[in-house]
Amino acid sequence: MELLRPESAEAASAALGNGSVALAGGTELVPLLRDGIVRAEKLVELRDVVPRGFDGTRIGAGTTLAELEVDPQIPQALREACSLAASPQLRSMSTLGGNLLQATRCWYWRLNFPCYLHGGDVCHAKAGQHREHAIFGSDRCASAHPSDPAAALLALGARLHTTARELPLSELYRLPTDDNRDVTALEPGELILELDVPQPEASVYLKAMERRKWSFALVGVAAARFADGVRLALAGVAPVPWALSSPDALEQATPLPGTAYKVDIARALIRRAVEAVGAPRSA
Amino acid sequence: MRVELTVNGERREADAWAGESLLYVLRERLGLPGSKNACEQGECGSCSVLLDGRLVCACLVLAAQADGHELVTVEGLGEEAGLHPVQEAFAETGAVQCGFCTPGFVVATADLLARNPRPSDDEIREALSGNLCRCTGYAKIFDAVRLAAGS
Repeated sequence: MELLRPESAEAASAALGNGSVALAGGTELVPLLRDGIVRAEKLVELRDVVPRGFDGTRIGAGTTLAELEVDPQIPQALREACSLAASPQLRSMSTLGGNLLQATRCWYWRLNFPCYLHGGDVCHAKAGQHREHAIFGSDRCASAHPSDPAAALLALGARLHTTARELPLSELYRLPTDDNRDVTALEPGELILELDVPQPEASVYLKAMERRKWSFALVGVAAARFADGVRLALAGVAPVPWALSSPDALEQATPLPGTAYKVDIARALIRRAVEAVGAPRSA
Repeated sequence: MRVELTVNGERREADAWAGESLLYVLRERLGLPGSKNACEQGECGSCSVLLDGRLVCACLVLAAQADGHELVTVEGLGEEAGLHPVQEAFAETGAVQCGFCTPGFVVATADLLARNPRPSDDEIREALSGNLCRCTGYAKIFDAVRLAAGS
């Protein structure tokens, strides 16, 4: 394996693909390489080419979760989502862009079962162990998306600037389909560079876990209040971060036998989150 | 590839392949086995070191990412003349069972107390949440952190 250190984001983009994989903080990629889930001939280090830090509502995708969780400029939901993610050691290294692109914690996928997400015909979790899995969007694959910041940013209405285009975060994600098993819509070589994160009137992120620290979300609920209403988004409930059009939309959930309990948790957290952010000022 | 690191104040160089972890380089190439290799997934914190003053899991950092940067490992905390106050406190309170997690806890505790000399119990829990003791000796570890904070 070889390490490349491109001098610009354009050069990094051009170097990706054909066995070359992007390396940012490494907290996700390093174990996946070690376990043989991701194979790479070349690593393309992004540290010097993806913006880091924030200015007003613009956040560099190379900013670490540790930097975001403590800064009062950052909306509360995103700060809380960062501080409730992973452990201090991981938050020191992990970048916001990398966090948005992290893979599911589904152990069938992580153990390299020939599952739907890996290109196979079946989702092993559906007939097997799926307590941590989806309650929405699980028609093909029942994995749960693990990113807490993604749910917060979805509720906040974040927009992404990539090396190729500008798009709302909601359009970054897609459910896997028979002809494309990716859960993101990034093109080959496309890098997330910066995010625009609107300032809400109020926002919050609540997370249910097996234990109170260093655990992935069973259910995470982000709520953000803007002048035109409250937006909700959930982590840990679908193969992608899941926006809810209203609290009642939770009742459209299609849980598996082992994940029905998540609907009850989500209902309780949504109620608390909506109470916490209050009604829009104009309402 | 050649990596240059400042480890515990000393300039060190090592040859590493591009996918090699910082932990491997520290233990196997630089003769610093204090940082322990346990889960290799970032879950246990036994390999905790300071990279440019930030607490990280050395098993999840590639040596290449640390190239040109400053590291403090558990070997860099004490001195010839005596132990670091956190090491003293762990010894004094008996906050060691099998001892495998101890270097990581000591580094994480030293990092916490450098930033926050008088942490609350909740702040201790948060700061040490990335370190696991499989002997579950947490009560004594808490005693050690409180003792070190008072010293």
